[in-house]
Amino acid sequence: MENNPGRRDFVKTLGAAGAVIATTGWEALAWQAKTAPGPDAAERTLVLLALDAVKSAGANYADVRITRGNQESVSTRERQITGVSKSETYGIGIRALVGGSWGFAATHDLRRDSVVKTAREAASIAAANNKVNPVRINLSPVKKVADGRWITPHEIDPFTIPIEQKAQLLFQTNEEALRVKGVRFVTSSITSIKESRLLGTTDGSIIQQTYIRLGPNVNVTAVKDDNSDFETRSAALSPMGKGWEYIISLQMQETAQRWAEEAVMKLSAPPAEPGIWDLVLHPSHLWLTIHESLAHPTELDRAMNYEANYAGTTFLAPPEKVLRKFKVGSELLNIVGNRTETGACATTGWDDEAVPAQSWPIIDKGVLVNYQTTREMADWISGITKIKDSQGCSYGEDWSSIPFPRMPNVSLQPNPREVREEEVIAATKHGIFIEGDGSYSIDQQRYNFQFGGQAFWEIKDGKRTRMLRNVAYQARTPEFWNSLDMIGGKSTYKLGSALSDAKGQPVQLNAVSHGCPVALFRNINILNTA
Amino acid sequence: MQSSTRKGLSLEESRALCNKVLSYSKADHARVNVDAGVHLFTRTAINRVTTAGATEDVDVRIISVFGKRVASTVTNRLDDASLERAVRDCEALAKLSPEDPEYMPELGEQKYSDVNAYYPSTGDLTTEARARAASFAVKSADAAKVMASGFIDVSAGANAVATSNRLFGYHSGTGVASTLTMRTLDGDSSGWAGDEGADWSTIESERIAADALRKCQDWRGKTSLDPGKYDVILEPAAAGMLMLRMMNVFDARQAEEGRSFLSKPGGGTMLNEKLFDERVTIISDPMEKNAETSTFTGGGLPASRETWVEKGVLKTLSYSRFWADRKGVPPKPPGLNFVMSGGMASIDDMVRETRRGVLITRFWYVRPLNPRIASFTGLTRDGTFLIENGRISRPVTNFRFNQSLSEMLANVQMLGSPTRVCASESSTVGPPIVVPALKVKDFFLSSVSDAI
Repeated sequence: MENNPGRRDFVKTLGAAGAVIATTGWEALAWQAKTAPGPDAAERTLVLLALDAVKSAGANYADVRITRGNQESVSTRERQITGVSKSETYGIGIRALVGGSWGFAATHDLRRDSVVKTAREAASIAAANNKVNPVRINLSPVKKVADGRWITPHEIDPFTIPIEQKAQLLFQTNEEALRVKGVRFVTSSITSIKESRLLGTTDGSIIQQTYIRLGPNVNVTAVKDDNSDFETRSAALSPMGKGWEYIISLQMQETAQRWAEEAVMKLSAPPAEPGIWDLVLHPSHLWLTIHESLAHPTELDRAMNYEANYAGTTFLAPPEKVLRKFKVGSELLNIVGNRTETGACATTGWDDEAVPAQSWPIIDKGVLVNYQTTREMADWISGITKIKDSQGCSYGEDWSSIPFPRMPNVSLQPNPREVREEEVIAATKHGIFIEGDGSYSIDQQRYNFQFGGQAFWEIKDGKRTRMLRNVAYQARTPEFWNSLDMIGGKSTYKLGSALSDAKGQPVQLNAVSHGCPVALFRNINILNTA
Repeated sequence: MQSSTRKGLSLEESRALCNKVLSYSKADHARVNVDAGVHLFTRTAINRVTTAGATEDVDVRIISVFGKRVASTVTNRLDDASLERAVRDCEALAKLSPEDPEYMPELGEQKYSDVNAYYPSTGDLTTEARARAASFAVKSADAAKVMASGFIDVSAGANAVATSNRLFGYHSGTGVASTLTMRTLDGDSSGWAGDEGADWSTIESERIAADALRKCQDWRGKTSLDPGKYDVILEPAAAGMLMLRMMNVFDARQAEEGRSFLSKPGGGTMLNEKLFDERVTIISDPMEKNAETSTFTGGGLPASRETWVEKGVLKTLSYSRFWADRKGVPPKPPGLNFVMSGGMASIDDMVRETRRGVLITRFWYVRPLNPRIASFTGLTRDGTFLIENGRISRPVTNFRFNQSLSEMLANVQMLGSPTRVCASESSTVGPPIVVPALKVKDFFLSSVSDAI
């Protein structure tokens, strides 16, 4: 359903994995050409001014971004409003390369003299750093984009929907949940995001992009009459890079009753017996397991020790020992990195180094074949991958954040044969079906993970039966993915997303999605978290 | 008076900005929060400075109120037209908003204690000085043939609050965290050390480099150890990363509504009940040296010293203004820092007193498991050692833990001297956490992690 290709699809030819989503997307392309706005003239002048100033101050390369981020948020609790807010953050960030060192400076003050001063400061910081162990940096080639324009494909701009309408939708959703006996609390919210990003580089590119994202949330709490126990059910409502039509499609009021009933059912559900079970993971849950155990470990900067002090390194290192050799999972495991998937949160036209959005295989039939790269990083592994160009993963959260390697959408490809969810469940004798993401934790090399969920259902002899609670599974990443035994077809494929994936020092947030079908894993260790 | 080099806005500049914003207001009530300052950083990896930067920003948050209709806007555009537009937007939004029955009228003038939380040693820190500090790590790593990855994070600035009821508060402060990971070139060992404070002069860059290197060297050749319940010694950073999760748990409403481990089955809360070991005392105090915080909250409520837990007994709970009004008690904001009392024991003393246990340097990816018992999961990282018969006997592989923090505080056996620690996993300066090293019994190390 969600694996509609984006407007660009530069699938590399390392393996067949990418071919599953490789169609043209011409409709989206035509739509973009009509709709994407160009740069504001005053902002364009400031970007060019900053580029001139930073070059004059000694930068051998620089990129400049003016971003304007707008957010609107409505949140409720039961029958009342808990918050209505709008925010705007606007400024300029300049990244300069002097010798082999990067410097970054940013300001909210967009007067000309302030912009020039900030550009010089970026170059001066880079120059100061270049005195401590300078190295040589080879930036991969990129084509100049003289007038790039892109906007998130959408039908209805969420900022055109009145605040009362948003609040009304949330109240109706809460009311439906509160109708269910045993439900005492409901919180719900909708965050609407629009960001304008103007990029200029010393290579001559000028690119204006506009991103639209939505983050809905509903959380239902059931409490026992005597206050002796409580359970929550968070609805599996993913953030998405779409317009208001996405919220309409969720039918929140209609589904609220089911979430509420599940919260109440959890209160009296038995815990799972700890031990070995098969797991059937719904996409509303599996996306996060992919995010933590496959998407983060295939960030090349982690493999090269750049993130050792915080996010960590990865078990998929060093590249020369694992690329085209390491068997991450079973033959069913085909993982594609992309910034092109329609509706996905990391989808874009170009990255923050003016590299075009693309789609490429990362794991092909279970074997690691590539990483996520930027212009600085592509050179590190091009001898093995034979790919000279960046995969386009440079991103800074906003004007105040230095661009650095960030995760694209990283998606598990569905079975090319149509396999329905019922068929996957029917293939399971003693298992647990998990929906929604819950508690999650994974080590700094991404080996040992433990994940909870929202709703757990026992599968007995191929049939989904009673609800369970206090379930978590714990596994070692390669063993887990090698136990992947069956995956659903396209009809089961969905996107799951996060608006605030953290990485880097200073820590930055990234919006990212992961598409996946329903999937069956054999013999997984189940814990009781009570 | 502010010195010319002080980052963020001065008291006079803040007051003028607040007054200007309030002068645009046509709402029944309005509030302004100003947050102004700089954020500086230097990052090292693979024995070189990889990035450094400086960001300067001023955020203005406006809250407009008509009756009980409330909305807020935030902008960082300070020209008159933009500020007035932000006020108009906020008022339009408030008029459209449904009523918030829990809205409490804006506060009038308040009396706040003075606290000196701004340290020029931190606010004036230059790129060159940060690079010099980073070079201790780089040189030491080069000499030992290991790899250094570090981060120096600095924030310096001021915040202010003002209301249409003539309240005004101003606070300026600084914070700095310096952390370092040393890894062997073959990736077979890793060691970590770090400091955090308000005052850069308390950050010991050479000692951090030496400690991280020593941990990295001592952890080489680690071997496996069976999971299970162990006596553990938590170094201060490890203890702080868990206690960070206890910062906002003392909330009366959550407890009274049956949604917290402080809820009593059958109704009520655990107030005045003994929950933890009698050596556990937890306070918050804006005046705590090198861990100072603002003496007011974002809403303008005065924040003062509070004792949350005394000798293991839950002594008080925080009340929002709405919940306090409903319950007929004075409002009490949650603590803005977390200060736990300690004892006299050194890490060496704790090791000597341990027949069989595990020494833990720090944690990673700590996430909630079960709110009914305040349990969390997470992993050990960057230096984990087996203790046998009063001595560190060997380095061991990392573990995942699954542990109730309430139970852990009941199982405290020894406490060290409290110190401010870098408790955030990202090593970003956070709310000040002051904790001792702890020795606790029956800590559940639930499975082995291969991660290094």
